Amino acid sequence: MGNPMKIRAANKDGVTEVKVLVSHEMETGQRKDSAGAIVPAWFITELTAKHGDKVVLTSEFGPSVSKNPYLAFKFKGGAKGEKVTVSWKDNKGDSRTDEAAIN
Amino acid sequence: MFRFSKPLFVFALFFGSTVAIAFENYQGVGRPATPAEVRAWDIDVRPDFKGLPKGSGNVERGNELFEEKCASCHGTFGESNEVFTPLAGGTTRDDIKTGNVKGLSSGELPQRTTFTKVATISTVFDYIQRAMPWTAPKSLKPDEVYAILAYLLNLQEIVAGDFVLSDKNIAEVQKLLPNRNGMTTDHGMWPGAPARRGGIGNGGKPDTANKACMKNCKPEVLIGSTLPDYARTAHGELADQNRSFGPVRGTRTLGPEAAKKAADAGTLDLATKSGCMACHGMKSKIVGPGYSEVIARYKDQTDAESRLIAKVKAGGQGVWGSIPMPPNGHLKDEDIKTLVQWILSGSK
Repeated sequence: MGNPMKIRAANKDGVTEVKVLVSHEMETGQRKDSAGAIVPAWFITELTAKHGDKVVLTSEFGPSVSKNPYLAFKFKGGAKGEKVTVSWKDNKGDSRTDEAAIN
Repeated sequence: MFRFSKPLFVFALFFGSTVAIAFENYQGVGRPATPAEVRAWDIDVRPDFKGLPKGSGNVERGNELFEEKCASCHGTFGESNEVFTPLAGGTTRDDIKTGNVKGLSSGELPQRTTFTKVATISTVFDYIQRAMPWTAPKSLKPDEVYAILAYLLNLQEIVAGDFVLSDKNIAEVQKLLPNRNGMTTDHGMWPGAPARRGGIGNGGKPDTANKACMKNCKPEVLIGSTLPDYARTAHGELADQNRSFGPVRGTRTLGPEAAKKAADAGTLDLATKSGCMACHGMKSKIVGPGYSEVIARYKDQTDAESRLIAKVKAGGQGVWGSIPMPPNGHLKDEDIKTLVQWILSGSK
């Protein structure tokens, strides 16, 4: 299930800017723990953002993305009160979807 | 302890008498501060919440204010690491329970944030009220400070999204601060009396003990390690990078010779960048003549520098064979001059 994302979406002059703070460990699989054993890779592979039902952003993430990544993007359209939905899937098959209203 | 307290006492007496003298000498100058002036100056908020103004603010209003006044530097989520360390993040629910941020001692934290370190919520309130926004400090009203603080607490997952922070419930929030038990006072940095005598620190006891050696002492100081020669110039001339007065000076890393060498290395870079080294070798011919051959040919000619500058700029053919040297109009005149002087001075 993962931890909730923090999402802010604000519309200005017909362009909606979305800022997302994803909460995820993003282990690269290169690190070793104190016992010397490799910490298994655990990272987001796919992230999608929707405005209503329309997909406005798809992206492929990988192990080079930081822990708790921050993401900001803009799309044309969107109005106050409409929903922006962001969802991710990770390499362990986990996924999470969060939404926020545009203001 | 005795050694310290006596001079302090003497100093206090002395200081007291100077103040008295100052008043006598400057009678009729100045006036006592008015209560309103003192109030404007006396804005500190203490850990026991003395000085806390009345007011309240909710997370939502804090979000708006933060976006407007704070986010450009701190990031929407207080996550920005551009100018200062991030404000929020790095703590867990367990930390909120225990009051000690585990990540600080376990080394799991990649980065410390304000909320992993701060032990008293009053400090954050005081700081925002006193110093923020950077461009307009003290411009926030108490309600706005409460709102921004509520938003930060929500980012930190200490309070819920519908929380209203006020002077009434801030003491409750203090009990949820992740690092509230993380502050130690048993060290010498705290001024004043030790804790057992009503102060806060340990009375100024130094953290290190420098004991005088009485037997088997080292006869002389041996320097254990020095900057190796190859690394001396790694950061350029240290003497030029430090103030020329005061106790800390930079050592002169580049001697006069080394300074010339560094400058020449710069010229060699310039020559490489300008494309000269593609055809000219230092000593021998590649396509065009080597620089030492050039010196040999021009060494007795007084106008060599100006002629060579003209040749480099316009190109030339015939002196060294049939392969032409292309014109180099794209190079700056002063760069060409530097290069020619460098070549004629032996390009070392």
